[in-house]
Amino acid sequence: MDKPIPAEADFTGLAGHRFPGGYYTVAHWENALLTECTGATLLPGGRVHPVALFHLPITGAGTTIAEMFALGQAESDLSIMIESYDWETFLPLREEIRYSVCGGIESAQRCTNPAGQFYDRIQFRFEVRTPEDALAARTTITWHYTRNTL
Amino acid sequence: MSVAVGDRIPEWVMDSVCPARMRTMAALLRDPNPLHWDRDAVAALPLGLGRRTINQGPLGLSYMINMLHAWAGPDCLRRINMRFPQVVLDGERVVARGEITALWDDNGETLAECSIWLQHEERGVLLEGTATVVLPKGGA
Repeated sequence: MDKPIPAEADFTGLAGHRFPGGYYTVAHWENALLTECTGATLLPGGRVHPVALFHLPITGAGTTIAEMFALGQAESDLSIMIESYDWETFLPLREEIRYSVCGGIESAQRCTNPAGQFYDRIQFRFEVRTPEDALAARTTITWHYTRNTL
Repeated sequence: MSVAVGDRIPEWVMDSVCPARMRTMAALLRDPNPLHWDRDAVAALPLGLGRRTINQGPLGLSYMINMLHAWAGPDCLRRINMRFPQVVLDGERVVARGEITALWDDNGETLAECSIWLQHEERGVLLEGTATVVLPKGGA
């Protein structure tokens, strides 16, 4: 049975939602596993592979992928489609550094695809800062919450 | 490094996208989506993908970063923006490719804007986007 589509006002009202914020430290073991998953070798000097810019901001901001799915009232885990990932880096990430992270929902919109089907679009934005409060990275995740298409 | 607009970035090849790596990644990311570790869940979708798991978006994106690192060094990345027109499936051979579209100097650094994409021989472009990269000294 199809899950009801959230009311448009409820959905667009997600804009401005803030996650609790917090901290994240990439341990050496985690960087080693992440890097191996990419097919690369460890970067020199304790640099963290930038692939960490997906989960580091999410976890550090005090949320989870599952919560981000739930906020948009995803029909299921399978109904989420990626529009884009936009990662800006201002300083190389390093292992064992305690980064502070803040983030939230930048925009939430109801859209229609060329086939006339509704979908909802959320843009999440996160900022990652060093212990000295220098901006190290900014990431934007844009997902589509498809409705009744699977 | 001597480069010009229109130059191609040396390609980076992932010979076979590995389902075990997707499972490790799912655990590290705390990603509950079964598309990355359950072939039956993928087969049940009305998408005709067969019994193959779908690579995480960040992993496909990481192949583009590996290409850029191999070309311009581990601190080169300033920005990457990727779109995901097609999924990447386990067992596929994919090639990260790119081309310089603009060059400029900023505060003593040479920056390159690049068009980048992840290509499969039969299915075409799977990921596409742009990257801004700082080039090693002596570039352009």
